[in-house]
Amino acid sequence: MNLWMIASIGFLMCMIPCGIAAFRGSPMERLLGLEMGGIVVTMFLLVMAEALGRPNFYDIGLTMALLAFGGGLVFTRFLERWL
Amino acid sequence: MRSADIAVAVFLGISVVSTGICCSALLLFRDLFQRLHYLSVVTTVSTFTLLVAVVIKEGAGQATMKAILSFIVLLLINAVLSHATARAARVREFGQWTPTPEEHIEGAEDVKPGK
Repeated sequence: MNLWMIASIGFLMCMIPCGIAAFRGSPMERLLGLEMGGIVVTMFLLVMAEALGRPNFYDIGLTMALLAFGGGLVFTRFLERWL
Repeated sequence: MRSADIAVAVFLGISVVSTGICCSALLLFRDLFQRLHYLSVVTTVSTFTLLVAVVIKEGAGQATMKAILSFIVLLLINAVLSHATARAARVREFGQWTPTPEEHIEGAEDVKPGK
């Protein structure tokens, strides 16, 4: 187990508070948990790509960053106007 | 252990610890707008230190370019997402995102009410 793998476990542990935040509070507070989770998962995927020694896997992290943005923005607009 | 390995370990450690602190702050702070600040810390401090660790480890190459691209994307989308979230929270709370007549915010007298 190399240093990058240990860091990826650390990032996975960071998902626990995000998950708890996404399950309690008002809808907007839950949305913050989702947004933070998206960023943490992006960094986790980047670290995993380095840990596995596969530079091609960096694309997954990049895709996750873009999808997290889209998902977060859609939820934000819905919560602002309709929900 | 080479000095580059030590530097990578330090920057990775800073990245993980700062992310952990900010994620914990999501649970510790009660106000939504206070919590919102910690999203920015993760996308600036944590991702930048992670980028530095990748640059030190890989040097110039495909991995570094993709890590830089990811950093820029995260930096840009967080600014938009934070603004959109704060705006949505104000609209839900007050019905409009501009200052309400009851609020006296210095320098915002000229802002017209609207949605």
